[in-house]
Amino acid sequence: LPICPNGSVNCQISTGDLFDRAVKLSHYIHSLSTEIFNEFDERYAQDRGFITKSINACHTSSLNTPEDKVQAQQIQHEDLLNLVLRVLRSWNDPLVHLVSEVQGIKEAPDTILWKAIEIEDQTKRLLEGMEKIVKRVQPGDLGNEVYSLWPGPPAVQVADDDSRLFAFYNLLHCLRRDSHKIDNYLKLLKCRLIQDSSC
Amino acid sequence: GQTAPEKPEIIKCRSPEKETFSCWWKPGYDGGLPTNYTLLYTKENHPEVIECPDYKTSGPYSCYFDKKHTSLWTIYIIVVNATNEKGSNASEPFFVDVTYIIEPYPPTNVSLTVEKKHLLVKWFPPLLVDVKYGWLTLVYELRLKSEKAQEWEIHFTGKQTHFKVFSLHPGENHVVQVRCKPDHGFWSEWSPESYVQIPKIFQEKDMTVW
Repeated sequence: LPICPNGSVNCQISTGDLFDRAVKLSHYIHSLSTEIFNEFDERYAQDRGFITKSINACHTSSLNTPEDKVQAQQIQHEDLLNLVLRVLRSWNDPLVHLVSEVQGIKEAPDTILWKAIEIEDQTKRLLEGMEKIVKRVQPGDLGNEVYSLWPGPPAVQVADDDSRLFAFYNLLHCLRRDSHKIDNYLKLLKCRLIQDSSC
Repeated sequence: GQTAPEKPEIIKCRSPEKETFSCWWKPGYDGGLPTNYTLLYTKENHPEVIECPDYKTSGPYSCYFDKKHTSLWTIYIIVVNATNEKGSNASEPFFVDVTYIIEPYPPTNVSLTVEKKHLLVKWFPPLLVDVKYGWLTLVYELRLKSEKAQEWEIHFTGKQTHFKVFSLHPGENHVVQVRCKPDHGFWSEWSPESYVQIPKIFQEKDMTVW
């Protein structure tokens, strides 16, 4: 469905449609993130105890995000929208790294590579959409401060297979988590802003 | 003779509405002595050890975490200790994030109404689930068959809580069930069976295309 039909001038998509598209994308991105995590976990992480090391290890854990419904109800929608934007932006660099890193993993199936590329592409599209929504919902400075919470890929010796696999596992674990957060918050915002909390 | 209890095993954790959750464990052999069970947990970015807040609500060998004790996007590290006079034994640690263990209860109040050309099925979300606010998004699936038939006819209805069924067998009793699933999570059980008798003179929908 093209954003604006050809030849249309001043075509203005409704905020509701923008939210619809954003939620479809965020749902899809989280489903892909779950699939790629499960696929990697089954193939490379069994019995390695990676989950114990991935506790408190997400680069976005310093972002103060609501962790339950009450906290989510108490936060202003402008703040929640900006949080979604910050989480999305914080994944720009890691997703570029993820795609390049996949190609270095021994016998990584094509499906993992394809999903990594697809997640990177769709996350860019979602970020574009979110910036449109934020401009619509709160005209004014988008607050496009350049920041990156991600410290960059860990300095890992190529030979140290376990560390490289853990670094990758942790990235996928955090991606699954953050993509779920984004999806959850967007569905909540859509209900609140578009459907007057009556979904 | 009497011994220390065998180590228990944590078997499952589930959240019915993304606001609370419960975990269950399987006790080992109790060593022939009265044995007491204690569930202890820590949470990501909360290293202090906390005991289960409620051992009763979810039945035997369980722990119920109410809203105050439930956080999403957070790993819980859970251990169950079995203790009797002769000693104690701890389960393996169980890692769980409530985000990924959502399994709702079945939909409620399934109603069936025979209309002129179709059967109208309506239902409500399970109790305690906050769909209106958007914290949890549910999708539904309906299955129906004539009582005599073997095969179910399954319809995915998305977020809709009503559905019109046209393919019916006049004069036969039909059974209908509905289930639901969060946008990311596990299917519920099917709702209890609901029955409806389709009248003999029921007018099939005219399916001629040309």
